[in-house]
Amino acid sequence: MSVKPGYHGVVLNIDLSTGRSEKVAVPPEDLDRFVGGQGLGMKILWDRLKKPGVDPLSPENPLIFMPGPFSGLPVPSSSRTCVVTKSPITSPVESDYPHASTVSYSNMGGFFGPEVRFAGYDGLVVTGKAPELCYVVIDDGRVEIREGKRFKGMRTDAFDRAFQDSLGDRRFKTVYIGPAGENLVPYASIIHTAGRAAGRGGMGCVMGSKNLKAIAVKGSGQPGVADHQRFLAALEKARSALYGTAYAKSWAEQGTARAIVANSHAGTEAVRNYREGTFLEADKIGGDAARRDVWVKDIACYCCPLACKKSGMTRGKYGGIIHDGPEYETGVMLGSNLLISDMPGLLKAITIIDDLGLDQISTGNVIGFLMEAYEKGLINRSFLDGIDLTWGSVDATLAMIEKIAAKEGVGALAAEGVRALSWHIGKGSEKFAIQVKGLELAAHNIQANQPRGLSYVTASRGACHMSGDNIAMQNRRAMLDSTGMCFFPTFEPALEEPMLAMLSAITGREYDKTLFEKTGERIFNLEKLFNYREGFRRADDRLPDRFFEDPFTIGSKKGSVLDRGQFDAMLTQYYKDRGWDPETTRPGEAKIRELGLDSISEGMQK
Amino acid sequence: MESTLDSHTKSTDCVRDGMNLTRREFIKGVGLGGGAVVLLGQFGIHGAAWALSGDPLLKMVLVDYAKCTGCQTCEAACSAQNRPVTVAGRELPGLGNPRFANIRVHRFNPDVDVPSVCAMCSDTPCVKACPVDPDPRTGRRALYRDQATRTIRNDPGRCLGCRSCARACATERTGVITPNPATGKPERICTLCGGDPQCVRRCPFGALSFVEVRRDRKFYGLGPEQIAAELAKGWYGTAEFGGAQ
Ligand code: SF4
Ligand code: SF4
Ligand code: SF4
Ligand code: SF4
Repeated sequence: MSVKPGYHGVVLNIDLSTGRSEKVAVPPEDLDRFVGGQGLGMKILWDRLKKPGVDPLSPENPLIFMPGPFSGLPVPSSSRTCVVTKSPITSPVESDYPHASTVSYSNMGGFFGPEVRFAGYDGLVVTGKAPELCYVVIDDGRVEIREGKRFKGMRTDAFDRAFQDSLGDRRFKTVYIGPAGENLVPYASIIHTAGRAAGRGGMGCVMGSKNLKAIAVKGSGQPGVADHQRFLAALEKARSALYGTAYAKSWAEQGTARAIVANSHAGTEAVRNYREGTFLEADKIGGDAARRDVWVKDIACYCCPLACKKSGMTRGKYGGIIHDGPEYETGVMLGSNLLISDMPGLLKAITIIDDLGLDQISTGNVIGFLMEAYEKGLINRSFLDGIDLTWGSVDATLAMIEKIAAKEGVGALAAEGVRALSWHIGKGSEKFAIQVKGLELAAHNIQANQPRGLSYVTASRGACHMSGDNIAMQNRRAMLDSTGMCFFPTFEPALEEPMLAMLSAITGREYDKTLFEKTGERIFNLEKLFNYREGFRRADDRLPDRFFEDPFTIGSKKGSVLDRGQFDAMLTQYYKDRGWDPETTRPGEAKIRELGLDSISEGMQK
Repeated sequence: MESTLDSHTKSTDCVRDGMNLTRREFIKGVGLGGGAVVLLGQFGIHGAAWALSGDPLLKMVLVDYAKCTGCQTCEAACSAQNRPVTVAGRELPGLGNPRFANIRVHRFNPDVDVPSVCAMCSDTPCVKACPVDPDPRTGRRALYRDQATRTIRNDPGRCLGCRSCARACATERTGVITPNPATGKPERICTLCGGDPQCVRRCPFGALSFVEVRRDRKFYGLGPEQIAAELAKGWYGTAEFGGAQ
């Protein structure tokens, strides 16, 4: 069988139960139809989990690291790795299966995905469970599972250094979990380069359930491309679309942190556990302040001309080295959302969360919920193990973060997320437990942003701010996250044509805008079929009551609140436009046939 | 320190690099953040004279570490240029696995990125370390300075694979020479891309430039670990760092 251009045609399967690893061929039609990244990862997940209700923390659940066809080529911003698995966080209102959950994916920048392709694979699929903590070293075709007990409990910053030193070659790219992942906190993250994360959706928890502390990879190969000359020409165009432009410079200047102040003005920021959309002290934790007081270096992912990541240093009580931040999500979830306006304190929280290997978004959301419940007197100080968890308190926040990662005392319950907390506390707290399907919302507030509300309720992994605010955007995003390219440069219109030309030249498949989005639609629908099979229905596509009941009291969008009738009507229209049944949300037979998913969905309950 | 430096500046003809560098200017140039100490520590007493001399004919790729983001585009571009492929009878740049680049970006924790590239040393300790007798015709050892490109080249036909050159470069200068794991023959020495350095051209952040060799520049000829330690001290107030990727 000849290898399809743009691919190696194989993934590396690592079974930690048997200790065996082998190359597994990917069907060529899957490469065409699901591309790589999120899409191919989803297809592999579907193929591996032949029945619904598999326990996400069982050895059976695969943890899949997916680069895309851009990965391992010098394409601008082709740095992303999509980690795909079955979610250890989400669950439906009702299901026949006790372990029902959605697909989960998390997209991470850096250098890992490209290196997986250098090593000769289109992805890594980890299954099984090691008898004791272990790590995997992949050096081209050589794969070793090594005993890793000496790293047990190590935080990610210290581990990043110690692990790299132990490998003895700086060219290895590594991903790893912290104590939170080892302790099976559902929203544990996977960390890379000490400051990048596959944060959302419980990737670190699944990794921890496999007793896998880390993976290191390096390689000397590369996939070929279908049309070398055309690829090089398109590559030059892609570079000139971004190099030295005002667009690229604005990313280097502030990264996503620019939005901390901008979204506060726009009334679309998560503030005070989503009670408000505006943070009156946003300028103290925004990009200007960080540029002035904190950042020392702009950092880019593989071949990226944007450099949105920032490292820095703070002094004083909370002083220390900052691997990254504040970014928009981290700065808002731990800053505005908790009314923390002390920059060093905020950065301390962000740093510790990465160090412990937690998801920044879920952690900030959980603490915001607890602050509100505490303020309202629904829980008392002894419930919080004596922590005086008031709005804006850095020390209390830091203490809670440690408890969550250790699952100690109140941390054991808080580790289960805001939905579990609200079920436990009751007293109407569900209204302000800000989650969809069990996954916490991110830093974009929605009383004044209904389309983002649509993204949250219809996203495949639970509340996701990145899914897309309408069908076209969702399809495009699903496809983009399947290529290995980063989202951020793609707002530059001049990149569109060379991007499609590069993808065509690499794969030998002629991509235009229509095929690009159609492929994304197939991917999105397969995710939907997976979730539907698990038992997710329309009742699961539901926002917490806060967004319909608590109008903003401050800011430019003062008075804004969502209208339930309007939101429901929008949702009904969405399902219809998707070709899904508006009652059950099941993708219709016509849509399934149109996307060529019929053979896949065969035998699925109607 | 001052007297050591003094004696060498007096005893050598050191101010002839076209810049008419005085001792005072030299101290100023390298004295920032302990640069002079680092320099002398690195090259030793006997190296001080070398460190002060110059050769306007030599050019090199210079890194502005404050601008480098660690994106590795330079590596990919270098690898593509220096490992071309033949497609339909035409030689084209390759796809550029950064592993094979002659410039190498070393990443540390805390976040410091140090691209490391041949310093084009005028005294070539790498060449001097080569045990192969000079060819009577060309005067070349197995490692030699190519007079056309002014870069350091290896003659694989005569090379013993003894790794002496790599050792010399690593202990005395940048450490860029990577012996081939199988043959021990030196690799990863900058070719200057025949006069049009691709790394310089492709760096998205303008962190690289193609300049005349001047040894009074801060960090000139140092290894990546030393440079990273110095930078980390200045940026994060710590010289303690680990070898994160
Ligand atoms: S291309 Fe430029 S910014 Fe990127 S690693 Fe190389 S020198 Fe640094
Ligand atoms: S290879 Fe090393 S020793 Fe030789 S000229 Fe280059 S930096 Fe100097
Ligand atoms: S490895 Fe070859 S070039 Fe280097 S010192 Fe030995 S013989 Fe000379
Ligand atoms: S000048 Fe050419 S050979 Fe030298 S490091 Fe740059 S790209 Fe590589």
